[in-house]
Amino acid sequence: MPTAPPPRRTAAGVRLARARTALTRPTAVLGACTLLILTVLVVAPLVGLVNTTLMEGGRDAWGDVFASPMSENLLWRPMGNSILVGVATAAGSTVIGGFLAWVVVMTRIPGRWLLGLLATIPFALPSFALALAWESVFRNGLIGGSTGILVNLGVAVPDWLAWGPVPVSATLTAHYFSLSFMLIAAALASVNGDLMEAAELTGASTLRVARDIALPVVAPAMVSGALLAFAEGVSNFVTPALLGLPVRFHTLSTRLYGAISTGDVSRGYVLSIVLIVVAAMIMYASTRLTGGRRNFATITGKGGRRRSVDLGPWARPVAALAWLLVACTTVVPGAVLVLSSLTRRTNDFTSGFTLHYWIGGSDPAFAQGRPGILNNPQILQATGNTVLLGVCVALGAGVLGLLVSYAITRSTGSRWLPGTLGVVSFVPFLIPGIALGAAFIAQFGAPIGPIPSLYGTFAILVLAGIAATIPFAVRSGTSALSQVSRDVEESAVMAGAGLFRRIGAVIAPLTARGLFTGGVLVFVQMVRDLSLVVLLATPAMPVLAVLTYQYSSENFTQLANAVTVVIAVISVGATVLARRLEGAAQPWNQNS
Amino acid sequence: MRSGAPAASLTITDLRKDFGGTTAVDGISLEVPPGSFLVLLGPSGCGKTTTLRMLAGLEDPTGGEIRFGDRVIARGDGTALVAPSERGAGLVFQSYALWPHKTVRQNIEWPLVVARRPRAERRPRVEEVLEMLAISDLAERYPGEISGGQQQRVAIARMIAPEPRVLLFDEPLSNLDARLRVETRGELVRIHRSTGATSVYVTHDQVEAMTMATHIALMKDGRIEQFGTPRELLESPRTAFAATFIGTPPANIVECRVEGGRLRAYGVDCGPAPEGAGAGTVTAMYRAGSLAPAPGAEVGPGCLPATFADQVPMADRWVLGVDLPDGTRAHISRDAPADLRPGDALGVRLPAAPDAFFGAGDGHAAAGAAL
Amino acid sequence: MRLSGMLSASAALPLALALVACGGGTPQEPAADTPAEPHELDSATHEELVELAQEEGTVTVYSFTSRIASIEAEFEAAYPGIDLVGHDISSSEQITRLRSESQAGAPSADVAYISDAPVVITELVAGGVLQNYVPPRVAETVPQEYREPLLANRLSTKILMYNEEAHPDGSPVENLWQLTEEEWNGRVVMVDPAVRGDYLDLMAEIVRRSDEMAQAHQEHFGSEVSLDEGVENAGRQFIKDLYANGLVLVDDTDNVNQAVGGTGQEDPPVGITSYSDRRDNEEEGWALQASLGTVPSTGITFPAYIGMVNGAANPAAARLVADFLMGDDSETGGPSFEPFYVPGDYPVRTDMAQPGDAAPLEELGAWDIVPEETAQIRDGVADFLLTL
Repeated sequence: MPTAPPPRRTAAGVRLARARTALTRPTAVLGACTLLILTVLVVAPLVGLVNTTLMEGGRDAWGDVFASPMSENLLWRPMGNSILVGVATAAGSTVIGGFLAWVVVMTRIPGRWLLGLLATIPFALPSFALALAWESVFRNGLIGGSTGILVNLGVAVPDWLAWGPVPVSATLTAHYFSLSFMLIAAALASVNGDLMEAAELTGASTLRVARDIALPVVAPAMVSGALLAFAEGVSNFVTPALLGLPVRFHTLSTRLYGAISTGDVSRGYVLSIVLIVVAAMIMYASTRLTGGRRNFATITGKGGRRRSVDLGPWARPVAALAWLLVACTTVVPGAVLVLSSLTRRTNDFTSGFTLHYWIGGSDPAFAQGRPGILNNPQILQATGNTVLLGVCVALGAGVLGLLVSYAITRSTGSRWLPGTLGVVSFVPFLIPGIALGAAFIAQFGAPIGPIPSLYGTFAILVLAGIAATIPFAVRSGTSALSQVSRDVEESAVMAGAGLFRRIGAVIAPLTARGLFTGGVLVFVQMVRDLSLVVLLATPAMPVLAVLTYQYSSENFTQLANAVTVVIAVISVGATVLARRLEGAAQPWNQNS
Repeated sequence: MRSGAPAASLTITDLRKDFGGTTAVDGISLEVPPGSFLVLLGPSGCGKTTTLRMLAGLEDPTGGEIRFGDRVIARGDGTALVAPSERGAGLVFQSYALWPHKTVRQNIEWPLVVARRPRAERRPRVEEVLEMLAISDLAERYPGEISGGQQQRVAIARMIAPEPRVLLFDEPLSNLDARLRVETRGELVRIHRSTGATSVYVTHDQVEAMTMATHIALMKDGRIEQFGTPRELLESPRTAFAATFIGTPPANIVECRVEGGRLRAYGVDCGPAPEGAGAGTVTAMYRAGSLAPAPGAEVGPGCLPATFADQVPMADRWVLGVDLPDGTRAHISRDAPADLRPGDALGVRLPAAPDAFFGAGDGHAAAGAAL
Repeated sequence: MRLSGMLSASAALPLALALVACGGGTPQEPAADTPAEPHELDSATHEELVELAQEEGTVTVYSFTSRIASIEAEFEAAYPGIDLVGHDISSSEQITRLRSESQAGAPSADVAYISDAPVVITELVAGGVLQNYVPPRVAETVPQEYREPLLANRLSTKILMYNEEAHPDGSPVENLWQLTEEEWNGRVVMVDPAVRGDYLDLMAEIVRRSDEMAQAHQEHFGSEVSLDEGVENAGRQFIKDLYANGLVLVDDTDNVNQAVGGTGQEDPPVGITSYSDRRDNEEEGWALQASLGTVPSTGITFPAYIGMVNGAANPAAARLVADFLMGDDSETGGPSFEPFYVPGDYPVRTDMAQPGDAAPLEELGAWDIVPEETAQIRDGVADFLLTL
């Protein structure tokens, strides 16, 4: 303990003393440490990606992409389409997710608990289920084969409604609005009832209160949700491939996967770098636009009371709209998915139904003798692996994400550190999973100093999973943290609680809702994600997503769909469970 | 007190805090003996809260030095910085900053847990402070379930439980209603006395300052305008700002021109100029009790023109608010209410000489200041 | 302690970066730019291999088809004590994976059963990632082109198919150039060649066979093919016209099968898909049939390769697997070949009979691709497609 008299001030002494006191400011140390971890997990693979494109590979990938007769079709038009789809998805997700969050949190519409649960499900469904649902309704005769319900009813469906940007954006919105919903609902739930009452006392209308009071408070969550939806929309491959290709609607992601899967890796990596840069610019622009209103601390030390909005005559229409949205995005695709695992013939709902693909034994008449998935020990093993992987990654990304978002929101002094952390932690979103997987093999495949080769281990899956999902974890962490007032934490500083104790004893419980949401997102992402694990999954350790992929590439569509149903059930189950735990973890909010 | 740890004196030397380009605290110095109740008083944005946060250790000074007793707890050059929890200080936040996920008991006990006090010591201590603040009944409630006044008591209990040597208060009464505020004021002083600690209290309310402080540091624009006992500040304000910020009602300020050895304001002769005052302007201070309404709206030498605005009873006297011709509000204190209606013209009779003079420009007390 | 942790981590970082920098995943890695030396076990007898393989005890196989599961059971029954671990991994992923593993110096497979011939030959074999091994037992019965540079055990197809329910009298397409005419506008379906390598191989083959395409044009239209500006040959002109005629691209062969084969259609499209998918007609309610006799060709056949992974842990067992995958000496290849003995696929061994229920290879009249030559023009064709 330093006591007077002051030490003699030599220049070196001063520097040493400064360094020592700087170490007592753990936020800076934390920021530096998390940046280092992110560098290893994110920047290094990215550098590997860039490097690959610069090596002599016989062909000049950059020139091909940017300055060749192909550029138009390979780069510019797909880029325009990607931005179009991304922006439409972000906007649609924010509107729908925000509306549903408002309905669930702020109104007294009957059954809003169920509504809230159903609204989180589309994200847990695989993209192709939603695309398939769209097709089963809107598919027209463009391709040939069977047509959708509308055409069968005699309604002419124009191509723009059946194929191309409209259905792609619509189904992606239906898929990703859950993200916005979860983030905005968590933020709305923490809006202090007094704020709303104060506003209502001024005589402002319900709508006006929502717009002028609630909206700014949840703005950070909305921006986060929109950015996530944008990035997901831009990088999704399945939906544009299913609904866009027939009218030659390409996005950067379809071009990228095409390049990689036809063996032109460098060109694919160039496209993914373009994708990263484009999305980073959009993200930068949007945070600049909304940067002024980032920090609303609304959980003060006083517990806030929740308050519902009385909708009056609007209650019924609003409820009807909310239920309709949820039904279209959850119930319909869910039903399509389940039914398509039961059809005798692939995706043909008129061919009759069978439970064979679920419980049947080996029968040469079905899927070349593959047994139903519940009869298949490999599926059970894969289920265990998948859940374990999801839990490990959710925990790892959750902890790292909380630390990173803490460093971002609580850093004082220089602004480059939080800024860098913010950007770096967002980047993995934009690295296509397959590229990230390849980069991870390159980086961790060989021993690094004392660390043995991680190739083929469960650890590399977890590490890559953390890297891939850190954007989710950081976004939800940031959004949750911005709801905790600084005072509440400083009072713990005064009590002498160190950084990690503060995070554990004060920050974590107070942000539990947001952290659970983020954890579930990560879990669900890991459980259903294919592109990342397809290269990394040790073949001896199957995970469900890889099995789905194998089945579907073998044209055992029903089996693939049945496994997908299992994935969806796990994801939805996790969501429900987290909801339960969330309530139990915050007894101080029970009176709300 | 924790094994008899003595209250600490508090010494601040040339303390500075710059945030990027702006200066929040611009080199302040003061010293108070152990057991003092120091109030940092000033309008919002004067740097008082920043100073308090530097004392608590929540901000690092960019210059100067802070000592609790003999111990240097922070130096602006970064060569010494004692962690907040090692300073033996406790802080009550304006928002109370209770941990919403902990019960009242847990809120009070947790700092002791963090400090690794043995359980056998913790439990009785918690009961003791619960008792002291009369909140034993609330021990198992969550902060969201109790009233603002009760939260305030919990916040105080949480602060004093670890027996700090220095108590820090950041406008703790500003969220309470007027009556509760008066009650709690007394309570705080009682707690200050019973703990024997040195307290630092931030407020913009001069009444709070006058009633509680042993020392007041009046701050403005990051500097200390005047430092002293409440009585010194009241009786010998060194600046016009101090004069107008302190006192109920505050003193009146009249800008006068010096013409041929006489003072003139609003076209009226106000008496002889102070010795040594050259040509130019001086600021004259008149206490409310030194002024009187002139009968019959008379205006002339020693009697300023004014318009009646309002009057309020204060203790057993009445305070009249009048507007001088340039809109300056002046207060007159007298025994009985005036029989006037808002808007009525009246004359304000000045005493033979002002209660004090301040030089023009910097507003500091000028030569010849007289009571 | 925290500080020291940071220090060691920061020391590891440049290392990690350096590693990435020298192993970022380029096609031509590692140092071996030339095919590896023949393996010492290449000349071992079957008995020697069995003995060594049993010492190894296990063998890992990457397979582009899930039929590896039944192979696994058969193999373990035939060679008790050797555990075959089969993994179903698509060809393009195998390529990425094998390449990455080779760069990381950690090959995890012993055998690659893989399609995507042009990339496999020019990158994996030329790059030394895969080695060739021809079991002495079958060397005589496998034609030269399927023995070198890598052993194949069967041929798969990507050919033009039509709906036999709608066209009971045979294919409505006699000449490929018909597909560029108004009659088939918007009614030709295939998987986007920019996404799937085997379709790209078909496009490349059409370009490579430009002379035949030109002749077919002459036969159909009675005139020389006229090339658009910037179009080099008849093959490219055909592809350009095909795209311009509303060619419908989808993401998956199943979509092609359904569109073309779906029963109950009045005017179904035609499309490019695998002949062997016809075996699912009954199960899926399709009416797929190969467009036999189409001029100049109905599509392509391409090999399924068996490669030895260079530097793998179990070279003897790997060679045993290669031997096994070639089938026994019976007409159908026996149980070890049974999963591949399906109508629409063609065993390469000259001593095997072709499966019934499908046109024999000669009658199919498909072009058999030459991987090295295809590889030479494949990228150019891919680039050309991107300009359409």
